[in-house]
Amino acid sequence: MKIVVCLKQVPETNDVTIDPVTHNLDRRGLAGVMNPFDKNAIELALNLKDSRDDVQVVLLTMGPDDYAESLREGMAMGADEGVLLSDRAFAGADTLATGYVLAQAVKKIGDADLILFGRQAVDADTGQVGPIVAEFLHQPQITYAANLRLSGANEVTAERLLEDTKQTLVAQLPAVVSVRSELNTPRYPTPRNIQLSFNKPLTTWHHDDLDLDDSRLGQAGSPTIVTKVYAPEPVKRELTPLTGTPSEAASQLITALKQRQLI
Amino acid sequence: MSKPELWVIAERRLDHIEPTTQQLITKAKGLAGDQFSVVAILLEATNDHLENELTAYGPDEIRVVRDDRFPTATDAEHADALQQLVTAYQPNSILFGATITGRSIAPRLQAKLQTGLTADCLDLRFDDETLVATKPSYGDNIMCEIICPDHRPQMATVRPNTFVAAPTTGDATVTTATVTFHPVDRLQVKAATPVVNTATTVGDASRVVALGRGAASSATIDSATKLAEKLGGRIGVSRPLTDQDRFTHDDQIGQSGNTIHPELIINFGISGAVQYLVGMQDSQTIVAVNADENAPIFDVADYGYVGDAQAFMTALLGQFN
Repeated sequence: MKIVVCLKQVPETNDVTIDPVTHNLDRRGLAGVMNPFDKNAIELALNLKDSRDDVQVVLLTMGPDDYAESLREGMAMGADEGVLLSDRAFAGADTLATGYVLAQAVKKIGDADLILFGRQAVDADTGQVGPIVAEFLHQPQITYAANLRLSGANEVTAERLLEDTKQTLVAQLPAVVSVRSELNTPRYPTPRNIQLSFNKPLTTWHHDDLDLDDSRLGQAGSPTIVTKVYAPEPVKRELTPLTGTPSEAASQLITALKQRQLI
Repeated sequence: MSKPELWVIAERRLDHIEPTTQQLITKAKGLAGDQFSVVAILLEATNDHLENELTAYGPDEIRVVRDDRFPTATDAEHADALQQLVTAYQPNSILFGATITGRSIAPRLQAKLQTGLTADCLDLRFDDETLVATKPSYGDNIMCEIICPDHRPQMATVRPNTFVAAPTTGDATVTTATVTFHPVDRLQVKAATPVVNTATTVGDASRVVALGRGAASSATIDSATKLAEKLGGRIGVSRPLTDQDRFTHDDQIGQSGNTIHPELIINFGISGAVQYLVGMQDSQTIVAVNADENAPIFDVADYGYVGDAQAFMTALLGQFN
């Protein structure tokens, strides 16, 4: 059984600021770390690997060469190998162009039974890339899985928590799954696994290593454009006084909360 | 010539319409002016009449597609049906609620249509026919304006409770459309059960009843517990109440406790020290009840009552029944 875990490297902190002069995002001095939610996906893959003998866990990421650090970290947790998709042609990709390259890479890796994602990246917070990859691979998807188990030779059963509903889903493999962070607690790399990880294969694929339609890559293949980046103004609130007796005031509040669909 | 269509994809939540749908219809009507026609798209079972929960919000049209498989359809099956509608009607833009369902179906549809999708938007506007979507990044520390200039439809998911739904008097035309349902046998929804309240901590709760020094009596705490239950939320406390047996540091809101941003927080007997305010001022709707009319909590509140916390809570609880 082959599991591909897709991951992203993100800035170490979300405390980014806007340069007051250039109005650009000031990312100076921000180190990159693995997106914390992606560790839940790796942990799920490693749990499945612990439960049977034939599981191979491949980590996949697209980004500059320093994204290799996150692949190394995942291999130190216990994944078997890492694949980095790095090329200037991939730069500036939005979720659609990113999903396209990842899907083409999953095809090249070949025979993936499960493709796992974290729930979303903590920087852009979209959670879109998993469903996009699922669509490009024509595979079923289970998003925001709260738990997942192998329920047959070629089948997984998962629970998905919607806002106030719990769904039980059964998927025939191959399938794409994104996982909730409540699913598990990611393990730390042990010294022995860190040692072992240095002998595990880390491959870099460039543009020419994949079967790609150039019009779907990078900035040119990205339908969306960021036109403005700014720091949010603090929310200005206007106080509506509730007046009269406690009973009158409570009734005014109930009307207001109903209007806001909060009750 | 007919006007370009601005779509709101109606979401079902068990037997009802998910409230974000109504909020988006109101917002879409405000955006549309004379330029666009607002169309709510509703996929439902043959005997459902969820359109009745949409007409009051006055979209120009509610376009209903009926198939008994929709209530338990998977993301891919929904996206497939929506793709067929997009091909048939060529909307200018499509809005989804940024609920778990919306955030799962929208990108799948985006990939089919190979167009742009902006996630979890906090504001929307049109520059001519271009949708300008404002989305937060880096944990809401940064706002980005994003456009999709050369591809149609333009797509966005919008964070729940960003806009307020407003019923209106206009009449909505209900029409029906048909699609071919393509079942995906490899994924089955086996069961769907309601979950009442999944919040286990004050940080997870979408509704919070917050208690401070002015609402610390045992009777008040009992009432607050009932109120939190009715709201489907949790109790949180300011620093002084963590000394009580009934609360721990885990229940504390503020700089040295939990930073929370629930949909609703009702503060009782909390004056609003800076350390407390930074822990909750990003909540969506803030209510404050305090005996001191000069309490700083009123500076960050949407609704305020100057008076006795216990008396107000009793009145509120009574009217909930």
